[in-house]
Amino acid sequence: MTVRVKLIGPLMYETGFSEKDLDVPAATTVEALLDLIAVPRQRPKIVTRNGRAVAPEEHLSDGDKIAVSPIYSGG
Amino acid sequence: MYGWTGNILRINLTTGAVKKETYTEEFARTWVGGRGFAVKILYDELKPGIDPLGPDNKFIVAVGPIAGIPAPNTGKTVVAAKSPLTGGYADGNLGTRITEHLRRCGYDVLIVEGRAAVPSYIALENDAVSILPAGEIWGQGTYATHDWIYKKYGRAAGVLSIGQAGETLSLFAVVRSLEGRAGGRPGMGAVMGSKNLKAIVAKGNKPIPQADPQGMKALGASDLKKVGEMDKKSGWSKQSTNGVLAWCNEVAALPVRNMRRTHHPDAWKVDGERLNNARVATYGCPNCTMRCGITIHDHEGHESELDYENIGMLGPNLEIFDLDQVASLNYMCDDYGFDTISAGGTLAFYADAIDRGHTTGTFAFGDAERAKELLRMASRREGVGNLIAQGSLRMARAFGHDSEKYAMQAKGLELAAYNCKFCPGMALAFGTAPIGGTHKESWVITYELNQTARDSYGPEKSAKVIELQRIRGGLFEMLTACRFPWVEIGWGLENYPIYFNKITGLNWTLDDFWKTSDRVYALIKLFWLREMPDIDRRFDYPPGIWFEPSNADTEGPIAGKFLERDKYDGLLQHFYDQRQWDRRGIPTRRLIQTLGLEAEAADAEKYGRLE
Repeated sequence: MTVRVKLIGPLMYETGFSEKDLDVPAATTVEALLDLIAVPRQRPKIVTRNGRAVAPEEHLSDGDKIAVSPIYSGG
Repeated sequence: MYGWTGNILRINLTTGAVKKETYTEEFARTWVGGRGFAVKILYDELKPGIDPLGPDNKFIVAVGPIAGIPAPNTGKTVVAAKSPLTGGYADGNLGTRITEHLRRCGYDVLIVEGRAAVPSYIALENDAVSILPAGEIWGQGTYATHDWIYKKYGRAAGVLSIGQAGETLSLFAVVRSLEGRAGGRPGMGAVMGSKNLKAIVAKGNKPIPQADPQGMKALGASDLKKVGEMDKKSGWSKQSTNGVLAWCNEVAALPVRNMRRTHHPDAWKVDGERLNNARVATYGCPNCTMRCGITIHDHEGHESELDYENIGMLGPNLEIFDLDQVASLNYMCDDYGFDTISAGGTLAFYADAIDRGHTTGTFAFGDAERAKELLRMASRREGVGNLIAQGSLRMARAFGHDSEKYAMQAKGLELAAYNCKFCPGMALAFGTAPIGGTHKESWVITYELNQTARDSYGPEKSAKVIELQRIRGGLFEMLTACRFPWVEIGWGLENYPIYFNKITGLNWTLDDFWKTSDRVYALIKLFWLREMPDIDRRFDYPPGIWFEPSNADTEGPIAGKFLERDKYDGLLQHFYDQRQWDRRGIPTRRLIQTLGLEAEAADAEKYGRLE
């Protein structure tokens, strides 16, 4: 299945891309996806699926848009 | 007394009188500095009901005990007065070299009273105080003003100035400093303008009294280096505050089209990645090692220093997605001395009102050139610019048609760049911010969307709003320091009592600051009560449009969602209960006693009621 991955803020410089489609096996979890794109597990982050917060153990579906952001706190 | 200079400089521009006054250690311990000093002085010295743009208003410049001493990130100054925009207490902070120089001239507070007969500026050079003519630069923008002053005093001098917006008394004129810093959103620039005060310049070289200067020097230098290293490791300043734009777009919290929409497919064109790619320079405040001022060339070729709020409100909220055009609007606001957030919010309201047939005019979302023309007109108070210069709430009252509900403001101050169509906690943060719709007091939105159910109106959200108000609007605004090392890259809050204690020789904990912060918030509310004795909980509501089902998104992550009025009211009640404020949102007598505000409350009761 294909999911769209968007990296926000400085994470894009760490992983080397800002947004792309990825082919992943069915039943891939959010956590497995983050491992695949080499976002460090210990890095504080917010992950959303289609604009809503998602837990690491949740399974992805075809066509999902996953956004990974640092935890912004100000502005 | 260490840390505090113990001195206030009072200047009356009507009479030319200059007076050096002292304050007690008890005053210092009770109010700490910055916002704390400002609200106490304004509460004691301003008679309720005075004209904010008349000579009876007072313009305060105040710093805190760690301000100006090298440490993370101590370059901030608070400016405050009664607001011509909201009619209540108002302040704002900005990074400026005034912070250190005011202290090195021997003062923690400057009070400016009266009104000069001719355009003037104030110059402090150690003990020398001058009120000098500013006719040559009256009518000029802030960049030309700063250059004019730098030629006389050197670029190392501390400078605060206003542009044409302050001179023409725009109700959202700010005070400007450095390359692109601004503060005092609710019209502090207009208060300066009303006093014929174009600028303040300070140059001092006296030592700032400290209990342990050598220890603080070593600690401050070491910690500034550590913060710089943490910033580099996290990569935060690559996109600075504008990193959050893409996240807001993703979670449907971006202001688009006067906050009618919450996300937009073109938002990427003005996001942090594009901003970083366009960067030509980076600026920051004094005593900072994580400089956030990303600067790009605008459409006309000026250097324009941008952050998320500027871009969100002058870009997506006006449906302008050309970054160089957004930069142009930002540059114009900085030069005229308009607040970028209120400028974006007011222009967006105007376009929306035209769209809905609630007024006639020539302006549409996406029209950057017309937006520039409207800013020019506002700076001169020409035509509809005269109305724009007064902000969205007054504009709505002039248009009628119930348009006030989509004037995106709280207490008269335009909301910052977070669309809370379906973010109850952040809506509460805007509603209860003590100066009106600012994000600075309690930026609760990432907590809300990441760690709570978005549709919850529970007490966990109001408790978090209060926790953040104590830290952001309390601790940092009193000390006075920038919150970014803590809030953006995780520099520990526990460091700040360490700095405070090393500098003052006291032995405070964070709990001492929380109580002081509650005292400051309570006194601000009493200030409002004296001005507006009939205020009640409706005063702490966000704009009405957020409660309307017809305003809900039709697609995306929050399709069909909107704020529920009764539930918001419940959340507000949680906030009041946790703060020990009554059902109108006024501090209770019991709390007043706990905070030691009996004398202030006795005065408030001459005008309003306490329970």
